[in-house]
Amino acid sequence: MLKSPNIASKNRLWVFYIFVLFVHLLLIGRFFKIQIIDNEIYLKRAKSNYVRALSTPAPRGLILDRNGKIIVDNYPTYIVYGIDAEIKNKNQNYSIISKATGIDTLTLINNYKNYFRSRFLPTKIAKDLTIEQLSQLEENKNNLSGIIYEQFPERIYHPMVKATHVLGYLKEIDKEMINNSQTNQYSFGDLAGWSGIEKKYENKLRGQKGVSYYQVDAYGREAGEVDGYDNILPQPGQNINTTLDIDLQLLVEEIYANKKGAAIVSIPNTGEILAYVSSPDYNPSLFTGMVSSKEWQEIVSDPDRPLLNRAANGLYPPASIFKMVVAIELLEKKLVNKSWSVVCTGEYEFYDRVHKCWDKNGHGTVNIESAIAQSCDVFFYEAIQKVRLDELEKRSKEFLHGVPTNIDLPSEMKGRVPNRKYMNKLYGRYGWSTGAMLNIAIGQGEILVTPIQMMAYINLLANKGNVKNLHLVTPNLLSINNNVSISDDTWKIIHNSMRKVIYDTKGTGKLSNPKINNVNVYGKTGTAENPHGETHAWYVGYANRGEATVSVVILVENGGGGGSVASPIARKIFKKYYSKNNPKIANNQ
Amino acid sequence: MIASLTKSIKSSPFGLIIIIFGILIIGLTSLYSVAEIKADDASNAFLRQLIFLIPALILMMLFSIVPKKIVHEYVYILYILITLSVVIPFFGAKVADTYRWINIGLPFSLQPSEISKLVIVLTLARYLSDRSIQLDNFTSNFIPFMIAFIPAIIVLNQPDLGTALVMMSPVIPMLYWVGARPFHLFLLIAPALSILTAFDVMVFTIWTIIMALIIFLSKPQLWNGISIFFSNIFLGLVFPLFWNSFLRPYHRNRILTAINPELDPLGSGYQVIQSKTALGSGGFFGKGWGAGTQTQLKFLPVQESDFIVSVIGEELGFISILIMLLLFMYLVLRILNLAFNATDRFSGLVLVGIATIFLAHIFVNCSMASGMIPVKGLPLPFVSYGGSFLLSSFIMIGIVINFSKEEIY
Repeated sequence: MLKSPNIASKNRLWVFYIFVLFVHLLLIGRFFKIQIIDNEIYLKRAKSNYVRALSTPAPRGLILDRNGKIIVDNYPTYIVYGIDAEIKNKNQNYSIISKATGIDTLTLINNYKNYFRSRFLPTKIAKDLTIEQLSQLEENKNNLSGIIYEQFPERIYHPMVKATHVLGYLKEIDKEMINNSQTNQYSFGDLAGWSGIEKKYENKLRGQKGVSYYQVDAYGREAGEVDGYDNILPQPGQNINTTLDIDLQLLVEEIYANKKGAAIVSIPNTGEILAYVSSPDYNPSLFTGMVSSKEWQEIVSDPDRPLLNRAANGLYPPASIFKMVVAIELLEKKLVNKSWSVVCTGEYEFYDRVHKCWDKNGHGTVNIESAIAQSCDVFFYEAIQKVRLDELEKRSKEFLHGVPTNIDLPSEMKGRVPNRKYMNKLYGRYGWSTGAMLNIAIGQGEILVTPIQMMAYINLLANKGNVKNLHLVTPNLLSINNNVSISDDTWKIIHNSMRKVIYDTKGTGKLSNPKINNVNVYGKTGTAENPHGETHAWYVGYANRGEATVSVVILVENGGGGGSVASPIARKIFKKYYSKNNPKIANNQ
Repeated sequence: MIASLTKSIKSSPFGLIIIIFGILIIGLTSLYSVAEIKADDASNAFLRQLIFLIPALILMMLFSIVPKKIVHEYVYILYILITLSVVIPFFGAKVADTYRWINIGLPFSLQPSEISKLVIVLTLARYLSDRSIQLDNFTSNFIPFMIAFIPAIIVLNQPDLGTALVMMSPVIPMLYWVGARPFHLFLLIAPALSILTAFDVMVFTIWTIIMALIIFLSKPQLWNGISIFFSNIFLGLVFPLFWNSFLRPYHRNRILTAINPELDPLGSGYQVIQSKTALGSGGFFGKGWGAGTQTQLKFLPVQESDFIVSVIGEELGFISILIMLLLFMYLVLRILNLAFNATDRFSGLVLVGIATIFLAHIFVNCSMASGMIPVKGLPLPFVSYGGSFLLSSFIMIGIVINFSKEEIY
């Protein structure tokens, strides 16, 4: 039937023509709509498809010592992020990253869960990767999906010097900090200073993050830079020049390696702190990494409290180093004079109670100078009865007991100096008597101070009442106390007494004498009673050679006697300071 | 042999060949751009497409001289063979989750369903040209429908909805070409519409009203009209029941995602979004050859086959799309024109069927890439990468050249 005629009608052919025309016009219209009318929408969408903005971290400022030596530096590490929307196989990613970094998969999964904020934002998976680990990941690039890396300058600390409590540590900021930050500088997962200088000078150290634009392909892999987008370079943070002296700091840290307590070295003329140690401490790099809760628990529950900054936040009775305050009050109020004396038999009977002198053999006849030099308690038991508690409180505060030093650290304790009101409140109106004063006279009992306050106190004594704010970087502008004016005679007696502490044959601080020509040492030891165990050993003092003055505060917790334990430490510091032969540097500051 | 070949080339509609080469160049240009990304891949789409062109052109020439008589004679046997071969892939391995391919030991696989489109057209043409009747009788409409429907339903099960639709597409145009009554064609489409509208009461109600009007206006015999009307309503009422109670959930999902890929936003939905983004960001002149970000950064999936039109749109712009569509329109219109002028009914019908298949491919591919209809994977003739379809397209052109000329023996 091949010969059957073609019977198509012209009309029906036109129906076909019109239909074909219609279909093509429909398609052309559709393409016109998408490509011409909606062009801008899709252009934008295309860009957001392949342009990714990544913030580039700003290197934090370095922390230097007074001579420009680096204490805290940065070194490059890498952070691995995952972008949820682009990840095709999570488990494969984890196993590759785990292989390359040695971090177990479970930790990676947990990290991812913790940092996850949005399907389209990079979520941190692992950090602190070395370049070698990164290159291992790069080799597996084709099996990874939605994984990006970011270089991150990580803190690295001086190999020897720790200065942990001065420097502080960095930790990832929390929600509260993001909300409180006015500058909007932080984003989740950023590191910020959490204590010490890192916190105090956070704004200076931090710098400003930059933005870099990358072109990425459909698998989230970087495919070069994008035209028309200029990267914003990060602004590195400013370096911080501290007043610390690496050598002195190192010496003190070595001494305190097996001790608990605090030690501070400063220059009284300027208030600069040369060394600052609180022991025990912790490893600051522990916090920058992802802290495991186990490690954290270990630090927090350590009975030695390594997180406690003892120098600024530890409260101790000042013990005998308080005696200068009592002496000044006695002399200034003319309650005793230079020759007023007491016979010490080793104990002192007060009503029905016997108060002991630290030396049960007694000191014999002592006046105010020898009482300080030998730290005779009986002299002060007797003399204190002439003093009114509220007057003593005033004097103590004048000499910076129980007064914050305003040192440039994020926190410090205020301490406590008792007055009548306080005692009444504590013991009731008739619950305490002058007997309590006897305890206070030798710096025991209700009075509590911090080592850093004692530093301010000893500097004040060294400067004859001219107060310079203690500082690690820059002095706080709000001065704590402008000037203390007491008579020259009193100063003379006090300085003489403190000198005798070192040079008298019976002086309790003899062991602090470095025996260097032209170096004169003034000091006072203290042995604080501790209801929980061995006494705390104190030594406060300063040395000068001409104008070059250096002051120290030594506290050894449960160390024993101030004379036998704390004084030799002071000697080592004085020796180091003057053997460094750097009086000029000290002066010029 | 050689004499007949030169003769056929001389008498062949040259315009057609030029048009096709124009379309081919647009396709190859884009394939080259896509292939450039995969520079390390030796067997890239561009090169393979070039290599496939050689057998394609040879096949076109061969089919342009195959005696029409032989084709006419053995078409039914061919139909049975090809219908069976569509079943064969079910015994082969799954490629990309479907059974479309036969592995014949060559470095490429063959897709029998591509050839079966042409065979369906030939078979329909044979059947319809054998009858001198004006197709007054509805049953003579129904058999052609079944000729296409049997292989189509097999392909649909593979699952390849696009190809199944293309297989069905020539039925109504070819019936219409030979003078079928529009009412009968309506009766063919009505059950499908009854089923589709049954899922929404409102739409179903409107549909029944329209159906009643059409039946009333066509004035069939009373009982016929009533039974047609009610059997359609019955179908519409029963189908949702069947859908909900007899099909397992995964069956339902499979059918639903085949109809609407947007239900699978991470799969085909993603493709459509990226395709529209690529197209839309191209603008009038495009981003330049090889400079399409969506293409080059591989946001655009299946770019060398199903979404090649998006590559063209992004890199070469709306202007190129427009030129390409105008070329396609000319191609289809020209084939229809040749069909009208063909010497016999069989040839005319074959050409109409081929024109329909091309048109279906163009429409489905372009409207899918531009997000107008949600159907999966159909290649664009002469443009998309794909050996089987390129071969079958050129075979069809060969047939067009062959059947549009005067009988020479």
